[in-house]
Amino acid sequence: MSTTHREAIQKQIQQDWANREYIEVITGSIKKITDFLNSFDMSCRSRLAVLNEKLTTLERRIEYLEACVTKGETLT
Amino acid sequence: MPLPKRVVEPVHVARGTIPEDFPLPSELEAVTNGTLANTIRQLSSLSRHAEDLFGELAKEAHGLSDRANSLQARIDRLAVKVIQLDSNVEEVSLQDIHMRKAFKSSVVFDQQVVSRDTMPTAMMETYHLCDSPPPLNKLNDYRDDGKDGLKFYTDPNYFFDLWSQEMLKDTEKKLHDRGKKTESEYAEPFREPHRPRNDGGGSGGGRHKKRVRQPHNTRERQRQIAVGHGEYIMPSQGIQYRSSHGIPDEALLGMVMTEPRPPRPNSIELRRSYPPEEHQIYSPPMSEHYRAANYTGQVQGYEDSAYGSHYAPGQGQSGSDTYQSPGAPGTPNRFGRSRPSQPPPAPPSNASSNSTPTIASANNTPTRGRSMSTGRDTLPPPPPPPGEPMSPPSMNGTLPSHLLNRNGSRSNSPLPNHQSTPTVASVHLGQMMPIGTDETESVPQDLPPPPPTPDPAPPRPVSPPCNIPPPPPPPPPPPISNGPPLAPQMPITNGDIAKMIVNNPPKLKPLKSIVDGQLRKPNNPNLPAPVDPRNDLLKAIRDGIKLRKVEKIEQKEVERVNALNDVASILARRVAVEFSDSDSASESECDSEGWGEQENTSATNVA
Repeated sequence: MSTTHREAIQKQIQQDWANREYIEVITGSIKKITDFLNSFDMSCRSRLAVLNEKLTTLERRIEYLEACVTKGETLT
Repeated sequence: MPLPKRVVEPVHVARGTIPEDFPLPSELEAVTNGTLANTIRQLSSLSRHAEDLFGELAKEAHGLSDRANSLQARIDRLAVKVIQLDSNVEEVSLQDIHMRKAFKSSVVFDQQVVSRDTMPTAMMETYHLCDSPPPLNKLNDYRDDGKDGLKFYTDPNYFFDLWSQEMLKDTEKKLHDRGKKTESEYAEPFREPHRPRNDGGGSGGGRHKKRVRQPHNTRERQRQIAVGHGEYIMPSQGIQYRSSHGIPDEALLGMVMTEPRPPRPNSIELRRSYPPEEHQIYSPPMSEHYRAANYTGQVQGYEDSAYGSHYAPGQGQSGSDTYQSPGAPGTPNRFGRSRPSQPPPAPPSNASSNSTPTIASANNTPTRGRSMSTGRDTLPPPPPPPGEPMSPPSMNGTLPSHLLNRNGSRSNSPLPNHQSTPTVASVHLGQMMPIGTDETESVPQDLPPPPPTPDPAPPRPVSPPCNIPPPPPPPPPPPISNGPPLAPQMPITNGDIAKMIVNNPPKLKPLKSIVDGQLRKPNNPNLPAPVDPRNDLLKAIRDGIKLRKVEKIEQKEVERVNALNDVASILARRVAVEFSDSDSASESECDSEGWGEQENTSATNVA
């Protein structure tokens, strides 16, 4: 009896470890996803910011050029 | 303290997964199942955050693409326009410049970057989880100072208000300082210099006055225009000419009316401004003419002396001497001798004009001699038209001599009365008139009715053909000439004009009154007319200024109202002020720093 009971407990513990490992993999994956999302968000935002900056400068330049070229007609 | 934008929940996956009051056959399985369930929750939360994240990115990218598209369209339009540009065509005509709009940047500056409006949804959720501040605003009813009680606990706008007030104060201060610098003349002396400042204000007023005085200028213009009718008189000598002209008129009137004296005083008054000069002037051209005649040698010394006496006397006892000259040459001889010695104060214009007058004088002298000796058959050349600019004075001078000679002989009695130079001149002129008539009619007497119109006429026709009896000369020129000379005088010296008017009316006789009336009427209307327009202009200018100021005030108020809530306007104003002051860089940096701080603070506030 004792031996069988001990084997049952060991089996439960092993199963629990297996489950914990499985959960760890899942949570680890979730972390990876989160990290990826964060890095993706950051990179996208930085690139968008750069693009935004370039667009702003371009808009100003174009505005200047339009002001230079236009002969009084109102610009949009 | 870092503030997580998105939190994947539940954070602790395996905690609290064992139900306490529920008997479990296997706790380990329960924990495992609970943990798995929490991981699934995490995944769902993560997917939600990811969706939000991608949504934000997509939105931002979409905005950028829109901007890029619009920018591309603008670039295309600009390219077309640039291609169509014709360098040969003037870009902007002078007229279009006024129609052209001032360049105004349409770039919108991002402001209020950190506020509830721009708060990301994820953070907004977190924000909503926060405890709301205590409802201190409910106690506002019991506050006497009207302040918002909640602002003592929390005020999201506190840092912005602090910054904006600081900025505004700075700009105001800078503006004030700059104003002091620029207006140092006016503003610097605030305390003591009140006077100087007043002076400055006076100067400012002076500007206004200057504007107001533009009417003065216009008045002068009007004078000039009036003179323009008689452009001949325009030159600096105009005064002298006027006097001479006025004298002839007076003389004419006096001759006609037999009242020489009143005209004299008029002439004197006219000459008041330059009494001695006028005498000299009259005399000098005359003397020069006579000199020329002498040098030509056509005139006899005796006669020369007599003539010299005539003109020299112009300065002194001219009248009597001139008239007596024919009768008593001795006295004139003195003058004649003295005359050459006298330096001829020849005004440049007169000198220039002398050439023509010299000829006339030469002719005149012989004519005089004839008139003196024989008769007036060979009448001296009629007085030149006063209208002519340069010649008229000389001509008049020469003419008076003729007249004096002839008339003097005949009408000595009245002439001697006029001893003053002006009187002499007037007498000459007066005689001129009759002479002209005499020439035409070949009647020596002054009495022949010389209507004012005929009087002016004789000079011109007579002048060219000395011997030929010219037909009645054109009357219009003389009045015109008279008009202009008087007109210019009138404007020159208002007080004198008024005196003139006052003096003239009694002196003037019907004829004179008519002639002068023409002259005076325009003058009188001119005087009041300019005054009225001045007042109107003043009022108009003042009103206009007031209106502008009001507009400015309104604009400023609007700007201030905007400035309180508008970071861009505050910064723009400050930048403008500092650009003008020329220390923009450091200040702007400070501004940016402050703004950054504010961002942080606001962020914390938001948090």
